[in-house]
Amino acid sequence: MRRRSVLRSLLSRPVTEELARPTRMSENAHFRGSLQLRHVDVGSCNGCELEIASAFGPHYDAARFGARLVASPRHADGLLVTGVVTKNMAGPLQKTLEATPEPLVVIACGDCAVNGGLFAGAYGIEADLDELVEVDVRIPGCPPHPAAITEALRGLTGR
Amino acid sequence: MTLFLVGLGLGLAGAMAGATLPARLRVITTAVCGSGACVVTFAAATRVLASNHSVNFHSGAVLPLTGIDLTLDPLGALFIATTAVVGLAAICYSVGYTEHALRSRSAMAMFPLFLTSLLLVPATSSVATFLVAWELMALTSMLLLLVEHRHSEAARDAYQWYATMTHLGAAAILIGLVLLAAHSGGQTFTDIGTHSAALSPALRSIAFLLVLVGFASKAGAVPLHVWLPRAHPEAPSPVSALMSGAMVNLGVYGIIRVGGSLLGGGFLWWWLVVIGLGVISAFYGALHASASSDLKRLLAYSTVDNIGLVLIAVGAAGALSVTGHRALAALAMLAALFHLINHSVFKGCLFLGAGAVERATGTRDLDRLGGLARRLPLTAVLFAIGAFSISALPGFNGFASEWLLLESLLHGFAAHGAATLVALLAGVAALALTGGLTAAAFVKALGIGFLGQPRSDGANSAHEVAPSMLAGMALLAIPCVVIGVAPGLLASPLRRASAVALGAASVTPLRPGLGLDLSGAAGAVQPLLLVIAVLAAMALTAAVVRLVGRRGARRAEAWGCGRELQTARMEYTATSFAEPLGRVFADVLRPDHDIEVTHVAESRYFAQAVRYQTRADDGIERSIYRPVINLVSLWGAFARRAQNGSVHRYLAYGFVALVVVLVALA
Repeated sequence: MRRRSVLRSLLSRPVTEELARPTRMSENAHFRGSLQLRHVDVGSCNGCELEIASAFGPHYDAARFGARLVASPRHADGLLVTGVVTKNMAGPLQKTLEATPEPLVVIACGDCAVNGGLFAGAYGIEADLDELVEVDVRIPGCPPHPAAITEALRGLTGR
Repeated sequence: MTLFLVGLGLGLAGAMAGATLPARLRVITTAVCGSGACVVTFAAATRVLASNHSVNFHSGAVLPLTGIDLTLDPLGALFIATTAVVGLAAICYSVGYTEHALRSRSAMAMFPLFLTSLLLVPATSSVATFLVAWELMALTSMLLLLVEHRHSEAARDAYQWYATMTHLGAAAILIGLVLLAAHSGGQTFTDIGTHSAALSPALRSIAFLLVLVGFASKAGAVPLHVWLPRAHPEAPSPVSALMSGAMVNLGVYGIIRVGGSLLGGGFLWWWLVVIGLGVISAFYGALHASASSDLKRLLAYSTVDNIGLVLIAVGAAGALSVTGHRALAALAMLAALFHLINHSVFKGCLFLGAGAVERATGTRDLDRLGGLARRLPLTAVLFAIGAFSISALPGFNGFASEWLLLESLLHGFAAHGAATLVALLAGVAALALTGGLTAAAFVKALGIGFLGQPRSDGANSAHEVAPSMLAGMALLAIPCVVIGVAPGLLASPLRRASAVALGAASVTPLRPGLGLDLSGAAGAVQPLLLVIAVLAAMALTAAVVRLVGRRGARRAEAWGCGRELQTARMEYTATSFAEPLGRVFADVLRPDHDIEVTHVAESRYFAQAVRYQTRADDGIERSIYRPVINLVSLWGAFARRAQNGSVHRYLAYGFVALVVVLVALA
């Protein structure tokens, strides 16, 4: 990841990096070109939220690649889950999952969602996200870099 | 005529049976007699409508000095037939309804008597007979309103309002009609009709205005409507159905009969006043209907609205007739009568439905209902038919008559005179605005009341009502659909009745056929074809979805932001549904908001409970009636000082009066 000065980033076009991995077109053909995501915070420290906001901000501008955050799971192709699954949010997560039409993709964003991260095994934790729902894409990092989030989304949209 | 008298006799027999028989036999006997009365009078009325010949009857036996005069002409017969249909449904419904209420001796005697008086009023043809029948109708309906007075403070309050308004109205009618009778040299309607042209214009106008005030108060026209939203909800439901479906009609009947056929049309400004009353009533009624959350109060205000629409058309007919547009006047009168009939049928059905809801759940507050479509499926379907009709959806009768109303007003623009044009334009605007408001009101009644989750235990544990009550509703729901699909069936009786109403030679505003096809002007609608097209489109869509659509769709619960506990308390209520409308029309509705915050004892920074209350009272009642009532009670307090119950004082008054008289004479 290159670091740029604020001035330069304001003057330049949004960051576009080469895709590190080949696109899994065959698996995720449903979401090609357009991916509508409902963000579900099941117990995040809001670090991941800041990075997601940044990934969809003008600098990284993930919307260019067909990904978009929507307001309701009824409009979504998938869930963007952040944080470790707390006891209070296990039910709502399940309900959100049920409310999302199929085929759907579940993206675990950040270490907490991927494997419990810093909070794994703590008393208020229901279980790892993996144990509760089927996770399709994992974005490690605490918090993950906006470029990493954008890259993962591009992996799904294929753009 | 014999048939009609037999019908009235059956009604009276029902009243006698209700007054004398023991409780078990009472209900069934009055039901048999009452429904017999309805069927027989319906047959008599249809015979008159089919043959287009009036029949007369005179008997010196019943009323001393004047005797009674009855005439069955097509106009009266139309009202009698409508009343008979609504009455039959109400009686059928009351068999099941009387399991809990309305079965006392006095109620069972008054109910058939009320029905008989409703059937009698349009057949009377002299001032004395008319007034007796009119007063009988008022008194019996008042007593029926009091049936539940032991349990309900509101019923007593409604009674006082109704009694006052109806007696003031009757007094105005009495003075108006007696004035006419005194100056025409005879008290039968024929005498008045033949001599009215010779009367002075001032006398005719005064008589018409007096009669208009009386009849408009019975019809529930704003600002004389205040009794209606109290009395109709508080009466037992079969009685509400008769009040809204038959009694208010007679107010319109009175205006048509006196203004149209007795006074021969009169002057243009009379009818402009009628249109004005209609416009205000339609707008005010529809607005309050869409704002109220009490189911029967909503229906009562919607009656004010619909009577307003009818008055607009009656006024338009009168105005067009006076200005010499015979064909257009006939069309408007036909539309008025048509809408009146349709209103009787669907409003009767809706009131019976509201009664079924009240019976099943114990409440008529929409904020406490919900989920009734699953619990009362048949009631829900029948209520929905009524609601679709009143919202003027194609395929139901409300659509046919509102279409005709609109057509008649729009074609009326051919008339001359700025005042007439402005009045007609206001009528069209009122029709358009109330159409939307009525739809909103009934989306609320149907959506909040019957769909969603139950909002109270009563609504949750509701069960379908008795079969006789369902049959009563069905008796009115079926005509809604039949007239809606084939409105042309009623064209010829309506034409005959409107010819009598205008005192005009027979103009045929409608071409024969199942649909509505104007003959004097361009305009036609075929509800049957519309219905077929809509049904075909629905079938086609369903077929396409079945064939092409993906199978095995997954059903999930309604999305509520992932909340764990979704309860009925989170549902949209009738009050919240009406809130935006209340905001838009706040200047007219002037709702009261009260917010009451109870703080925790330790600190004023924490609220323990917040109570929010909003009420939309009748603004006209508050601004016009309250000051008058306060003035009267002030006068009463003053008079009480003179009337303190002391015999000595009264003797002193008598003595003083005697002395004054003697001094004056000396």
